[in-house]
Amino acid sequence: MAESSEDSGSKINIAVKTPKEKKDIEIGADASVKEFREAISKAFGAPVEQLCLIFAGKILKDEENLKQHGIKDGLTVHLVIKSANRSQEQAAERAQAAPTPSQANVSNTPFNLGSMGGLPGLGGLGMGSSNFMDMQQRMQRELMSNPELLQNMMNNPMVQSLMSNPEVMRQLITSNPQMRELMERNPEITHMLNNPELMRQTMQLTRNPAMMQELMRQQDRAMSNLESIPGGFGALQRMYQEIQEPMLNAAQSMGRGNPFAALSGQSQESSGTQQQGQENTDPLPNPWVPQSPGSTSIGTTGSTTTTTGTTAGNALGSNPVFNTPGMQSLMSQMTQNPQLMQNMLQAPYMQSMLQHLSANPELASQIMSQSPIFAGNPQLQEYTRQQLPIFLQQMQNPEVQNVMTNPRALQAIMQIQQGLQTLQAESPSLLPGMGLAGAVPPPMTIPGSTNSGTTGSSTVTTSTTSTTATTATSGTMPTTSPGAPANTATPSGGLPGQGGADPLGGFMAQMLGMMAQGQGGGADLNTAPEQRYASQLEQLAAMGFINREANIQALIATYGDVNDAIDRLLQQRGN
Amino acid sequence: MAQERSALLLHRQLGELMKNPVEGFSAGLIDDDDIYKWEVLIIGPPDTLFEGGFFKAHLYFPKDYPLKPPKMKFISDVWHPNIDKNGDVCISILHEPGDDKYGYEKANERWLPIHTVETILLSVISMLADPNDESPANVDAAKDWRENPAEFKKKVARCVRKSQEE
Repeated sequence: MAESSEDSGSKINIAVKTPKEKKDIEIGADASVKEFREAISKAFGAPVEQLCLIFAGKILKDEENLKQHGIKDGLTVHLVIKSANRSQEQAAERAQAAPTPSQANVSNTPFNLGSMGGLPGLGGLGMGSSNFMDMQQRMQRELMSNPELLQNMMNNPMVQSLMSNPEVMRQLITSNPQMRELMERNPEITHMLNNPELMRQTMQLTRNPAMMQELMRQQDRAMSNLESIPGGFGALQRMYQEIQEPMLNAAQSMGRGNPFAALSGQSQESSGTQQQGQENTDPLPNPWVPQSPGSTSIGTTGSTTTTTGTTAGNALGSNPVFNTPGMQSLMSQMTQNPQLMQNMLQAPYMQSMLQHLSANPELASQIMSQSPIFAGNPQLQEYTRQQLPIFLQQMQNPEVQNVMTNPRALQAIMQIQQGLQTLQAESPSLLPGMGLAGAVPPPMTIPGSTNSGTTGSSTVTTSTTSTTATTATSGTMPTTSPGAPANTATPSGGLPGQGGADPLGGFMAQMLGMMAQGQGGGADLNTAPEQRYASQLEQLAAMGFINREANIQALIATYGDVNDAIDRLLQQRGN
Repeated sequence: MAQERSALLLHRQLGELMKNPVEGFSAGLIDDDDIYKWEVLIIGPPDTLFEGGFFKAHLYFPKDYPLKPPKMKFISDVWHPNIDKNGDVCISILHEPGDDKYGYEKANERWLPIHTVETILLSVISMLADPNDESPANVDAAKDWRENPAEFKKKVARCVRKSQEE
């Protein structure tokens, strides 16, 4: 090329301009476009085939030459460097249309999702699912670190308006293809989502502080509260069996599309049930495992989980580790994949592995350091290693084992678990709110069990004597365990300032983003109640309720339900 | 006289655009001997649905330019509320001066002799990014844009792909 331009004798300088930069290219006056393109490719460091040259309203083609186009010294040629991943983008587009994304597409993701056992990931399933997941995770994390936040959150006008709009919530859920599929298969879910009354009731339940406190403190009582929700306990239980499992599967695979998970390579966890090398990453997700149908061997695994959970719990409460993306996504995975856990623990190799593990601390730490999760996260690794002795000690604690092998104790735990899950199943749209159900207990259990491990305190011991009460205690009232080191994680802890405020902001922003995407919802969220409830206000006014301010208040309180608002207004008038 | 003046002005604008091209488009003549017929290539504005496309359009200047506006017609397919199905661009600044009989546009939104090829094309580029669906030239596109963004996106993506092959 250089030769040919020398042959031509005269050289010209042509300015080549991209949106970002401008460079002068020296080239023979009668060089071909091909030669010109090659020169530009060198100067800009971009592959020849990605260059698109435009001059005087025309795209330059390789077989033409500069003279033909009248490209002379001092003139400027437009250069557009096409993005290399165009074909991939298109592939993603196609994958989005098809229910099952192509594997190739996944392997193209920047975080090497595809390398994780070659499972077809959901990375290509589009923004909807990952955003939804992300939002949910953030919410759950928030709630996990600070239950009080839930109330604040529920009282936040934005959340209220979000919640008051079942349409939006439904949209959020249906934006996930897997969920949609699930809904198609299970008309009950659709019915659930289409029943605004049910959703609203559950929302009110969440918002009512007294009710909520009760829920938090006494989970067994909460169970009976649950029964009062239309459908009844039996229905809830059935729903758990029929719906929650596939739903969790959906959530699980959604997790793969989650940017956070990808960030830290956590998604491996959700995809790797069959992978032998990963067992010890899997117990982490669910501290509630003991409830998997209580056989003796599972008792052992159960205690493992608790302790593994301990690490996470400590990190959550008192350590910056909690703020690492790895930790965060670990925590959220934990709350999201109980199903995975159960599968895991029922696998025979898992049990033998855990036995080995408890017998051999060396092995345990070795596995830990090899596990991809920990390998990518030295902080977590270190933490886990520190906690390992405690964990093993706890494993050997006959009392712990006793609890775990006590079918009644296990059953009690399982009941709580089921309650939480059915709550989730009953109104999945509420996952944020009910995320509390799935999410809050784990970290709270953990401080308790740490205690039992380190100080051998009474939390676990008592549980052998009165099963139901204990689980409620250890599960929900960590504040009662005296001077637990991990108590920073407890609801009353100063967490909002520490980890709460900032993620909260992020979460809000996230949610705003979500709403902006959902076509109908976007306007709703940002508008004042007057606008949001404009039609209801009109109705009220037409019925003769002329105090606009009171009307608005009533509508806000009743989430826009005109009938309830009227009741409220009449009551107020009566007073 | 008028013809000379318009030709002179267009030559000057073309020369200026050759030397100092403006971001987002490239302009030349369809036929080197006819200064009144221009060919422009609009680079799909980044961060819009049209990103990645190269849209060819022609500008036809009247002899009494700049007193009268040129007409602009897309040669490439462009699915856009303000570009009709023949490719004719419908934006207020290309409309004959004076008040709109339908009352849609004010006089100052319409053609003014101060407009140049550059200002026209910048308006068109910004129109690509931000359609005005109040007075659509392509009603179907406007409907898609308003009511069925996914469909609109799909059709635009098709245009973008097609424009890349041209």
